[in-house]
Amino acid sequence: MIAPAAVRRWIQNNASLFGVTVLIVAVCVVGGLMTDRFFSFGNIVNVYEQSTDLALVSIGQTLTILTGGIDLSVGSLISLTSCLTSGLINGDPGRVIPVAAAVLALGTLVGVLNAGLVISLRVHPLIVTLGMGAILQGVTLFYAMGPVGKVPRDFTFLAYGRIAGLPLGATIAVVFCVLVAMFLRYLPLGRQIYAVGDDDNAARLAGLPRTRVLIFVYGCSGFCCAAAGLYLVARFGVGQPYTGVNYTLASITPVILGGTALSGGRGGVIGTLLGAYLISLVNNLLNFMDVSKHYQLVAQALIIILAVSVYVERRRMA
Amino acid sequence: MLTLKSISKGFPGVQALKGVSLEVKPGEIHGLLGENGAGKSTLIKIVAGAYTPDQGEMTFDGAPARWSSPREAKRHGVHVVYQEFVLFPQLSVAENIFVGHELRNRFGIVDHARMRREASQLLQRLGVSLDPRASVGTLSVADQQMVEIARAMVHRVKLLVLDEPTAVIAGQEVTLLFDRLRRLRDSGVSVIFISHRLEEVFAICDRVTVLKDGELVGTHDVAGVNRERLISMMVGRELGDLFPPKRAAAVAPRPVLRTENLSIAGRVRDVSIELRSGEIVALAGMVGAGRTELALGLFGALPISGGAVQVDGHRFTSMSPARAIGLGMGLVTEDRKSQGLAMQLDVAANITGPALGEITKRLLIDKRQEAAIARREIDRYRIACRGPQTPVATMSGGNQQKVIVSRWARICRTVLILDEPTRGVDVGAKAEIYRIMRELSDAGLAILMISSELTEVVGMADRVIVMREGRITGELQGQDATEENIMHLATTERAA
Amino acid sequence: MSDTTTRPLAAQGQGRLGPLRSLLSRSGIFLLLPALLLLGGVISPSFLGASNISNLLLQIAPLGIVAIGQSFVMIVRGLDLSVASTMATAAVIATGFSGANGDVLAIVAVVSAIGIAVGLINGFLIAKRHVSPFLATLATMILLQGFRFAYTQGAPSGNVPPLFRTLGSGKFDGIPYNFAILLILATLLWIVLHRSAFGRRVFIVGGNPVTARLLGIRTDMVTIACYLISSGLAAAAGLILSGYVGLVDNWVGQGYELDSIVACVIGGVSLKGGRGSIPGALAGAAIIVVIANEVLLLGLPIQLQIILKGIVIVLAAALYAR
Repeated sequence: MIAPAAVRRWIQNNASLFGVTVLIVAVCVVGGLMTDRFFSFGNIVNVYEQSTDLALVSIGQTLTILTGGIDLSVGSLISLTSCLTSGLINGDPGRVIPVAAAVLALGTLVGVLNAGLVISLRVHPLIVTLGMGAILQGVTLFYAMGPVGKVPRDFTFLAYGRIAGLPLGATIAVVFCVLVAMFLRYLPLGRQIYAVGDDDNAARLAGLPRTRVLIFVYGCSGFCCAAAGLYLVARFGVGQPYTGVNYTLASITPVILGGTALSGGRGGVIGTLLGAYLISLVNNLLNFMDVSKHYQLVAQALIIILAVSVYVERRRMA
Repeated sequence: MLTLKSISKGFPGVQALKGVSLEVKPGEIHGLLGENGAGKSTLIKIVAGAYTPDQGEMTFDGAPARWSSPREAKRHGVHVVYQEFVLFPQLSVAENIFVGHELRNRFGIVDHARMRREASQLLQRLGVSLDPRASVGTLSVADQQMVEIARAMVHRVKLLVLDEPTAVIAGQEVTLLFDRLRRLRDSGVSVIFISHRLEEVFAICDRVTVLKDGELVGTHDVAGVNRERLISMMVGRELGDLFPPKRAAAVAPRPVLRTENLSIAGRVRDVSIELRSGEIVALAGMVGAGRTELALGLFGALPISGGAVQVDGHRFTSMSPARAIGLGMGLVTEDRKSQGLAMQLDVAANITGPALGEITKRLLIDKRQEAAIARREIDRYRIACRGPQTPVATMSGGNQQKVIVSRWARICRTVLILDEPTRGVDVGAKAEIYRIMRELSDAGLAILMISSELTEVVGMADRVIVMREGRITGELQGQDATEENIMHLATTERAA
Repeated sequence: MSDTTTRPLAAQGQGRLGPLRSLLSRSGIFLLLPALLLLGGVISPSFLGASNISNLLLQIAPLGIVAIGQSFVMIVRGLDLSVASTMATAAVIATGFSGANGDVLAIVAVVSAIGIAVGLINGFLIAKRHVSPFLATLATMILLQGFRFAYTQGAPSGNVPPLFRTLGSGKFDGIPYNFAILLILATLLWIVLHRSAFGRRVFIVGGNPVTARLLGIRTDMVTIACYLISSGLAAAAGLILSGYVGLVDNWVGQGYELDSIVACVIGGVSLKGGRGSIPGALAGAAIIVVIANEVLLLGLPIQLQIILKGIVIVLAAALYAR
């Protein structure tokens, strides 16, 4: 490829962003060939909207994975926050704002607690968040064994409302993503997140504020889970104790697709957002193809495998 | 500048420091010597704020100092450049230099452009030009060290501690380093300089402190001691000649390994050398010349991209470690902990590592035989440990190295390659390793020793092969193998 | 290289408690189990009675078998998230035939093929393509899930052959058959892991992959073998579990992937690789089951069981902190 050195280097450095974009284009092409309804405005908006919950959670997960850790408590936290939201609001419009604020604060606090345990007990985040996830699930079930409470009609605006013709929730996710991306690039704490993920030991020896970094990323992840919980209640009208179960592992896929390495130190949230869109697109396409839900899972798995094998090749070339 | 009074520090099972007192004056380069296990590393970590002493006091710049973290020590002006680099491979050079102290512009956000500019300037003052955007992981070891030192130079340094800084650089880079250190000293900065290379201590240090077994042996002006005195202080006994006598010229060596225009993974090009039984060949050159890559390629750990290797009469265009071992070859790697040892296993497991077939009967390991083999090697090489079951992680660097050497020595039939065999090894163990090498070559092995210590090269080698930028620049034998000639070949362009 | 007689930073703050802590971390697990059993006996006298112990053993067996496989994978510095899916697929296949004993051979053949296939895919992706174990086994887990749903059209039906029912839930003189199977497998694999040359290679590869290669060990083969063992055991556990549960749904074995990891971590198998033991993993599995039962016994709400499991995971890992 005869491209100027700078362009070539950009592609190499952002190989996976490039990769996921290529995949998105590929899926769009296939979709467009399959049916002309694929590119209809309504369908694109649909895809955009469907990605919201996954995008929100995955952005938080990106941060934890960037530090070389992971947050396996997201599923339970989403369940907890969704139940608390609808349960505490219970149809009273006056409670909406305070409860939403409280729920977001709770999510953040749980994340901070995760970070605190990781640091003070010196245990791998996988184990800590796994344990915390179990604890949270138990707590959720204490609060509610089934769908609980309800929310006033206006609350669903969060999910179904439109701003400039586009779904509100999804657009909030995009804005949030951009803010986080800028934070990662332009604030010292953001740069230190990469350092800690790259080599935790070196970070300690270099005197980096590991505690601050971990508290931030896990707190953020918790915040994102709470936000996702709010969104899900807006979408379905009620919170459920098992609503978050699939999100734990599902939140990791967009992160990987977007080029963030599980070992940390490399990647970013823009890629994750694109990854979430890709998954939404694929599901959409499979729906069009009338593929049963079961094979959709298979397709997702195959995409992961394909994407990761391709990324490995790219990394070796670079 | 820095005063330590009766510092003691212990860990489960070992008392690392016993009542050590030390004083470093402002504007002085203070050498710190001692065998492995003497306590230097612990002392440094205390000074840097990574450890807290069990007993004793520390004063820094006139005030009592009790650091609770490296960050606090840094704030007060103490900077340590460790031997294991504190670098982030995926971050850029500029980011590594400013990590933790990112430069901001007037809006308070990180100013990447300014960081890149200042990083370049800093590096240029050190005599290096690197692309500030390059990922540190892609740099050579020597360049990485320059980034490390640049990092320490960013702030107002009052005390700079360098732990074995010349372990990975040589020649011109060392001269540059020493210049910079002298400039720092003259501006009032204190430097603690840890090294095993006595020539360097004499070259750069003003005063030197010797530690032994966690205790202070003494502090002297460098002008007032000589090499032998220092060695005896470190080792506690008189050491005879460090290097054993060389091969008797009468015995004619037989070729055992030959390479034909060997190229390896882009780092080694067109190398044709010959190794003979009974001969110790040193592979000299600057860091980055491709010597380690050649060793790894010969052993099959890096792919051969061109040419061939002939061992024991057979010709190969591809190699693997398993095949190399089968051919009777062995490799003692540069990095003990991550490439040479199985750190969570014991001495016996590490010794029998490549020869599991020997101790396996009907698919199961015969532990008794394994222990017997280990015991034999422990005695033979005087490895200091409690027994075959001692975990290698608890042993000193010199003894760990002996474990690795014994592992290969007992199964090698053709070639033993040693990459920087005495790096990070104290003087006492060094002499033993040299003795072992000579014994092995006298018994018929061909030995290839990669070394950046010229005294070692001249002292041990029967023949010296010099590399530069992946190619052989020359071969020296006998009287011609002088430090000057080697240096010359290592730094000049290939003749013709 | 600086001297290595100094302990790593983590050991720094231990002082006088240091030796106690390292003793606890090595054998604490084997003290915890009897303590928990004693606690059960205090809660209810019948807890330590023959019939209850026998029931406990019945529950420990499937988890124990999977935990053994998981320990191989974790020691080699990996993770196997696909085990639960493999178990469920095996169980579903077991009911997919006529339900008579004559089908046992066919069932075993198909299930073995699945176990081998999954192990090979996982091993290949991880060892040859350098995919992260988390990701690779996540992918195979989802893959199997998809196929399973498609195969059963979401609603599995059919019966398990009587032989499996016996092996899965039957007892001989109070000792469950499935526990006996666990003991046989455990002994066999203990010999493999702790006494054979292959087992030694597993530890070396897991703790020091670079060193392993330089010692002439085929690291990729060792890794693939470990994943084969894990999925093979998961398949076997699936068959046994199907016999225990009787009727089979698509979610048989749900949670076993995380439970087996938890069992291993409690048992001292480190996520970082290179360390662990089979007795430890089994003890971990036993502890999980015992705690679950004690919670039930105490009449405590089921939610507490989950919470306790979470707490135990974190505490156990903290004890082994490196």
